[in-house]
Amino acid sequence: MNSGLPLIPRVLEKLLQRYAERRQPLTSHKAKINKTNLYILPTRQGVLFFIVLLLILAGAINYQNSLGFMLVFLTGSICFLAMVYTHQNLNHLSLYIGNAQSVFAEQTVYFPITLKFPEAALHPAIQIQAESNETTITHLISKSETQDKIAVQTIHRGYITLPRIKVSTEFPLGLFHAWSWLQMSGQCLVYPKPASRHYVLEQPINQQAGDKASEKAGVDDFAGIRQYQAGDAPAHMAWKAIAKTGELQTKRYTSETDHELCIDWSHLDARLGTEEKLSILCRMVLDAEDKGISYSFSIPGLDINSSFGLQHKQRCLKALALFGIPRETQ
Amino acid sequence: MKRSEVYIRSPLTWLVPTLALVISPHLTRFPVWAILLVFILFIWRLLAVEKPGLLPAKWLLLLISIASCTGIFLEMGTLFGKTAGSIILSILLAIKLHESHQTRDYMILVALSFFIIVTNFFFSQSIPTVIFMLVLVVLLLVSLISINQQNAIIPAKQKIRLSIKLTLQALPLMLVLFLLFPRVPGPLWKLPEEKQTATSGLSETMSPGNISKLIQSNELAFRVNFENRMPAQEQLYWRGLVLWYFDGREWQKGKSNPTLSPQLQHSGETISYKVTLEPHQRKWLFGLDIPTKTPDKVKYTNDFLLRTTQKINQLYQYELSSALHYRIQPQISPWERSAGLKIPSNTNPQTLQLGRQLRQQYTSAEEIIQAALSIYRQQEFYYTLQPPLTPGFDPVDQFLFQTRRGFCEHYASSFSLLMRAAGIPSRIVLGYQGGTTNPINQVVTVRQKDAHAWSEVWLQDKGWVRVDPTAAIAPQRIENNLNAALSDNEPRPLHMQLNRGLAKELLFYWDAIDNRWKQWVVGYDVKLQQSLLEAFAKRKIDFSELLLIMTGAFFGVVFILVLSTLKPWKREKPRDPVLTTYEKFCSKLAKAGITRHAYEGPEDFAKRAAQALPEKKDSIQLISRLYIRLRYEPDPGPVKLDQFKQLSRDFKCK
Repeated sequence: MNSGLPLIPRVLEKLLQRYAERRQPLTSHKAKINKTNLYILPTRQGVLFFIVLLLILAGAINYQNSLGFMLVFLTGSICFLAMVYTHQNLNHLSLYIGNAQSVFAEQTVYFPITLKFPEAALHPAIQIQAESNETTITHLISKSETQDKIAVQTIHRGYITLPRIKVSTEFPLGLFHAWSWLQMSGQCLVYPKPASRHYVLEQPINQQAGDKASEKAGVDDFAGIRQYQAGDAPAHMAWKAIAKTGELQTKRYTSETDHELCIDWSHLDARLGTEEKLSILCRMVLDAEDKGISYSFSIPGLDINSSFGLQHKQRCLKALALFGIPRETQ
Repeated sequence: MKRSEVYIRSPLTWLVPTLALVISPHLTRFPVWAILLVFILFIWRLLAVEKPGLLPAKWLLLLISIASCTGIFLEMGTLFGKTAGSIILSILLAIKLHESHQTRDYMILVALSFFIIVTNFFFSQSIPTVIFMLVLVVLLLVSLISINQQNAIIPAKQKIRLSIKLTLQALPLMLVLFLLFPRVPGPLWKLPEEKQTATSGLSETMSPGNISKLIQSNELAFRVNFENRMPAQEQLYWRGLVLWYFDGREWQKGKSNPTLSPQLQHSGETISYKVTLEPHQRKWLFGLDIPTKTPDKVKYTNDFLLRTTQKINQLYQYELSSALHYRIQPQISPWERSAGLKIPSNTNPQTLQLGRQLRQQYTSAEEIIQAALSIYRQQEFYYTLQPPLTPGFDPVDQFLFQTRRGFCEHYASSFSLLMRAAGIPSRIVLGYQGGTTNPINQVVTVRQKDAHAWSEVWLQDKGWVRVDPTAAIAPQRIENNLNAALSDNEPRPLHMQLNRGLAKELLFYWDAIDNRWKQWVVGYDVKLQQSLLEAFAKRKIDFSELLLIMTGAFFGVVFILVLSTLKPWKREKPRDPVLTTYEKFCSKLAKAGITRHAYEGPEDFAKRAAQALPEKKDSIQLISRLYIRLRYEPDPGPVKLDQFKQLSRDFKCK
């Protein structure tokens, strides 16, 4: 449904954007659309209607047809009012950007966005688009506030900032296109894309790790009960404890003989490129978490002791995401 | 899920019925096959809304377009006349409907609809037409909204309300533009002449039966506003055209002699009046017997008729003055004498015999006329709307000597022939007689039912003199109206039966409104505009000034509209100090990277903020708790507000 700005040549659009940026340098998590940053131009259909009206006007003048004049003036006035209505469909709209859930590179980030009008009224067909991404269409009908998501396609790992978004509408008659460019400070961490191949976690890594006699998750000896975590094997569910507490619990086992899992940059084939290595390490972290195995994590410049669980996982993935990216540019 | 599906419909469910209504007023002018075609195309499209597989193939649509254009061409002889053009536009619309699948196509359909609506105004500019136009505009707006709502679930009621609101707000703007848009006189390019004429009204010939047929119609012919005095009912002879040639059955206009110049002497007062003539697709105007001078751009023929250069195809207003006492052509020209005495040979021998007899019996022309009229009066002649048919070769003989029942055309025709046989130059005049005076506005309305035919004879020294044989047999027709002249058991046309009692009164009101409408709206032109502006400005307003006034007035009305809908004076309410303080507190946190989501309550937000800023945990929680109490407790007391304000002001993230 993205009709874009059919009437503006590319160059003019660029100029307009620069003008808009100069006028609205403020970047924050919220933005308000008002008359200073809301633009409006006729759509292609609007121009078609204008031409039709001119033709009818010429006919009315030629045939001295009063009702012809009436129809032209009525429709013309309605089109003019439609411009005001289209403008009002976005005017006074406040937008709030939330923080997006981290995703892996090449996935789509969804920034939560809240749209709010001062009063509940009919504000349908509002299009939100982050530069050349998929358009979100949202409607506010007899409510003053709604939530939606802006999609942003990711390419690389690292922090991604929400590109400039364009909020636009053509409601009610589709004759005018009102829009606003907003630069808002949405940010999201993008993890490296996990390698598609699964790696056997134990074999290549555990040879040197054997002497560490610390407790490792294993399968042999029962070592207590902990909260259920996604990926725990159903066979290890502590059913009795579940029945008692009403919460999902998992039996923990330790295995003396089990070697510690060590996800380590230096164990990877040195011929691999940085991104490939990050990709593989990412896959390993995910797999280890999936299987419920504790692991230590090591990349150049960072060592994380063996652990397990969401926070550990996020720490590792964040390190992978930001690897080699200078702090200032994060 | 089910519920929402009810609302999310293709915009076609609105568009298709609306387009059908757009076409509907044109259907009366459609050939039958075209009505069927459009009907089928519309139903087909409606069925295909749910099942797109039913849509016809492209080649079939192309075939239908070509076939129907050919059909219209064969039927009408053109593709570009008003009628043919509107039919073709309507059919193309119905065909385009089958090729419409996306927003752009629908928008084109709506744009095309405006063309079709406007072509209907060539045929009717009445008040109902304008009301229907408003309904269509509202429905087209609803369709436009449906096209552009992009899957929003908007109840139909809300869409209709929005459309009506838009239309009502546009009405004052339309009024400004209508009154002030600079009008220019005359056509910009030459208008194509229309071949067929579907309008009823007088034709250029008269044969037995064609006026009594016209009487059945209650259609408006013209309206007259008398400036000062209105003549008596029996003096209201509205001259239209003169027929010279008679073939024994039918009177024809024939060629008039261009070398003659009209000679007119009149005495007594002249009567001034304004005529608003309905378009009748002819080149003649009607004037009270007899017009003394012509309006601009109107030719005066030698038989004192008013001729325009163009066919009257739209409402035409003209001012005239007429003299009731006059003398025209006191010197008859040889051409007039020979044309006025010409008798078709070998027809109506009995009538001719009677004429010759009268000539021998009486010496003066006046005596002959009186004798002829007394024949109608004394013998058993009847004035009737349903005269027996006189199909033979001698219709006048049949009427005068056998049936003796006839309408004005029978009387006028037989009288003129008698006169010619008696050696008195005579001709037939076609026009209207009488009219209805509306008691509300004193405007005389002349309808087709007032159509009339009478004779004129030429007398030495007096010139052409009007003689109405109908007045001899049915004086009521002339003095009052047709209804009064018909005998009681005579069946009346439907419009006469309805026109009585309350209905009659209501019709007078309607007539008065319609008259205003015609004069001020339909007839609003450059002259009326100038006189209106001069009445206000007390001087002449030129084109550029008018443009300026129009623009100013337009934006003035827009300004008022915007003010009255947005109500800026109602906007800024004094804000709650608790809320503003809390918002300041939130923005401080936001600067530190902790943004309160619109969906987050103060409690949840405080929890999250405390987690992110553990060293500020206490003050965050205190401020949030105070905020909740101040905002939601019934009576938190003034001290707490001060504390809350103080704490928030002092709060710093670092």
